[in-house]
Amino acid sequence: MKATARLVVTRDPHGNSVVRVLRSQSPLTLVPHRRVGPVALVHLVSSVTAPLGGDSLSLTVEVGPGASLELRGVAATLLLPGSSGDASSSETRFLIEGSVHYLPEPTVVTSRARHTAVVEAELDGHAQLRTREVLVLGRTGEDPGSLTTSVRATRCGKPLLHQQLVVGDRELDASAAGLAGKRVIGTEVVLDGVTRPALGGEWWSAVPLAAGGSLVTALGDDVVTITRVLDAI
Amino acid sequence: MLTALILADSRFPGGGHVHSGGLEEAAARGLVHDEPSLRSFLHGRLLTSGLLAAGFAAAAARGEDLAVLDAELDARTPSPAQREASRAQGRGMLRAARRAWPSARLEELPRDPHQPLVIGVLVDDPYEAALTCAYLAVSGPASAAVRLLGLDPFGVNAVVAALGVEDVAARAAKELPALGSPALDLLAEAHVRREGVRLFGS
Repeated sequence: MKATARLVVTRDPHGNSVVRVLRSQSPLTLVPHRRVGPVALVHLVSSVTAPLGGDSLSLTVEVGPGASLELRGVAATLLLPGSSGDASSSETRFLIEGSVHYLPEPTVVTSRARHTAVVEAELDGHAQLRTREVLVLGRTGEDPGSLTTSVRATRCGKPLLHQQLVVGDRELDASAAGLAGKRVIGTEVVLDGVTRPALGGEWWSAVPLAAGGSLVTALGDDVVTITRVLDAI
Repeated sequence: MLTALILADSRFPGGGHVHSGGLEEAAARGLVHDEPSLRSFLHGRLLTSGLLAAGFAAAAARGEDLAVLDAELDARTPSPAQREASRAQGRGMLRAARRAWPSARLEELPRDPHQPLVIGVLVDDPYEAALTCAYLAVSGPASAAVRLLGLDPFGVNAVVAALGVEDVAARAAKELPALGSPALDLLAEAHVRREGVRLFGS
């Protein structure tokens, strides 16, 4: 299955953030809320079991100057293998002149899944982005398939953050210089003008990036604990 | 080739001996305590931050823009402790290099450059630069393990010799990697917060 979806939010003369373009394609179904206000709320609903092996999903989100979007997932994403044995992929692209809070639910890498997830964000001078990623290596008692994630964010063309993560390699997952044997990885990227000091505990840290913004990273064994750490920052 | 050998030599006066690449923190937590756990740590380090550093050394050796590479490596190094360790080792290496191999390209490096960029400028063959960088990514932590854990130097040397350093260097010479290592970042940040005696700067 190949699907492309697009969402455009702009600010109207009254200061409300308005959804101007909403193009869904199953399984990427965008559900806007009717409320009118400074922040547009849209839910991203997976309307078919996806992604399966062979699927290719692409979502583009544009937010204009002064506009604000909250884009939320509704259910965890299960990465599953398909009958073809092909890999699946997803790509989420943000073009931001306003502000975006992207909060998908956790992604579970089931055994034999092979998936690549790419998130790209282009921010202008005053744009803000807050986005979260929680990865779970397999369902209970299950070894994970393979997943490669990549996040790249730029501001006015200059790189802010570029991180790739590969999970599903048994040796690397277990290494104290890999994922230290933890089952759940959470990250929260906050790209704004606020300078925050470095903070941390045994398996989490919140650190300032070199070119502005912060990254929270947490490793653990369950989603509840990791979500709590990410919520606290 | 000689330059690469000198840079990879533990007697090179670049200040690399004060960095353990996260090994001190991992040893303090008991995560690395013997040869098998050291092998696992070094393997992980080589395939994440080692590959990343080697890729940037190769790109610098190919003659790519050093300011662009410096910013791209910053974006791939979210941990301030890791950035500082990389720049401190770059600074130390640059100081020694200015005396030994002065060049105009060396002066094009940004202030306090990331170490892989210095290696790439000095060793102008991309594969050799990547190999030097990948080897340094594991040799420093390996010798730190001998000092901190009292492991058998012959055993540790055998562990290092069996790692896929050449494979990683060959991969790194092809494209600019962006692989992160969440656990290494967390160990590096915890190391700078750790109170009490620390033998290593990172």
